[in-house]
Amino acid sequence: MAPKAPRPAAGPIGLSPESDAEDLELTRLIAACAARNAQALRQLYDRTAPQLLACMVRILKRRALAEEALQDVFVSIWQRASQFESRRGRPRAWLTSIARYRAIDVLRAERAELYREAELDQLPQLVTEGGSDWSGAGRSAVALARCFELLSADQRRGIELAFVEGASHADIARATHQPLGTVKSWIRRGLASLRQCLER
Amino acid sequence: MKHDDPKLIDALAAEYVLGTLDGPARRRFERWRASEWHVERRVQAWEERLAGLALRLTPMRPSPHVWTQIEKRIGVAAAHGPRHPQHDVDDGRAVRRRPTQWRALAAGITLFVVIVGGFTAWRLTQGPQLQQLATLSSPGAVIAAWQIDADADLRHLRMVALGGAAPQAGKSFELWALPDSGSAPVSLGLMPEKGRAERELSEAQRQALLGASKVAVSLEPQGGSTTGAPTGPVLFVAERARRA
Repeated sequence: MAPKAPRPAAGPIGLSPESDAEDLELTRLIAACAARNAQALRQLYDRTAPQLLACMVRILKRRALAEEALQDVFVSIWQRASQFESRRGRPRAWLTSIARYRAIDVLRAERAELYREAELDQLPQLVTEGGSDWSGAGRSAVALARCFELLSADQRRGIELAFVEGASHADIARATHQPLGTVKSWIRRGLASLRQCLER
Repeated sequence: MKHDDPKLIDALAAEYVLGTLDGPARRRFERWRASEWHVERRVQAWEERLAGLALRLTPMRPSPHVWTQIEKRIGVAAAHGPRHPQHDVDDGRAVRRRPTQWRALAAGITLFVVIVGGFTAWRLTQGPQLQQLATLSSPGAVIAAWQIDADADLRHLRMVALGGAAPQAGKSFELWALPDSGSAPVSLGLMPEKGRAERELSEAQRQALLGASKVAVSLEPQGGSTTGAPTGPVLFVAERARRA
């Protein structure tokens, strides 16, 4: 499936000038954590925990469980701070990945019970759900926003459900009333198109 | 996994980051990622590509108890961060009963004694300033097995067991420096099964560690390898943090 005809990039995409300065500051704090400075972990927590918690609550559907998993995340950040240095990537991506992987692991382990006790009315929302406002995501997301908008609606929905909700292929198939094979191919092709577009 | 088709690796990395790579395949991929740098690089590229999707969520402030718990859990390590001398309040109260003209001098002397004493005590308990050297962890594990800290000269090591390695009866965990030159691993001693251990390295161990960008832990007979080389399976490998 080829991506749909290009549409103009959506809306005012956040060109926050602070995003590079923020990267530098977060990188500095992570390095200080590697040097065993607990104050730095606290500052890192103040700056990033609300974003990471939102991401984990969306996946885990229950705040108490997400907060418990958030503890694991910061203990893990503390333990692995020295590994960040060698990777030289963007600190937000590193932190978000640690949080998402932890949430996904907890989700897969406790799935059935989670959905029974879900607090669906209290989940953090995408700044505009399903819409094209990326202003909260900062400058690093400009290219992603542009390329994401080029995907078909099905591909977008599938990738968003997986990434934001932690949905599995089977969950997406249920939510969209599509056969599993179709869903798998949406996602596979959607990811391939994203990559191609981002590398242009 | 033996695939070396870059397209396949990239597709797996993408689905791993997205979360749709599931079950045993996810665990297998985690191990692969931890052992092969070219796989790890592709994972990181996808993490960076997709991170923006998560940043669109409206933030939520965590409840206050979350931080308290985190502090408790990292307590072992945090307690050894930079410390400040404690001022002794009782001494100050005693001074206040004396005649005015002596008060300032006495207070001055007391303060001096408290500061010097406090600083000396602080230096004594502080030992060498340690920095994180490596964290040994199973691929994908949230709780690492050990954290290793060292002073700037790599003369003094501290190993803290974090709970990620289950002790095995009749066996010991042994730490090795893996020299970049490709020469044989050099033992840096046994790892504590719980709690912590500290030791001074010999000059030979220190040189081996200086020339190694990786360290490893192997499972050895109780008391450590008797041959001077690892004999059991290597359970953990970690990059050594680069020093400025």
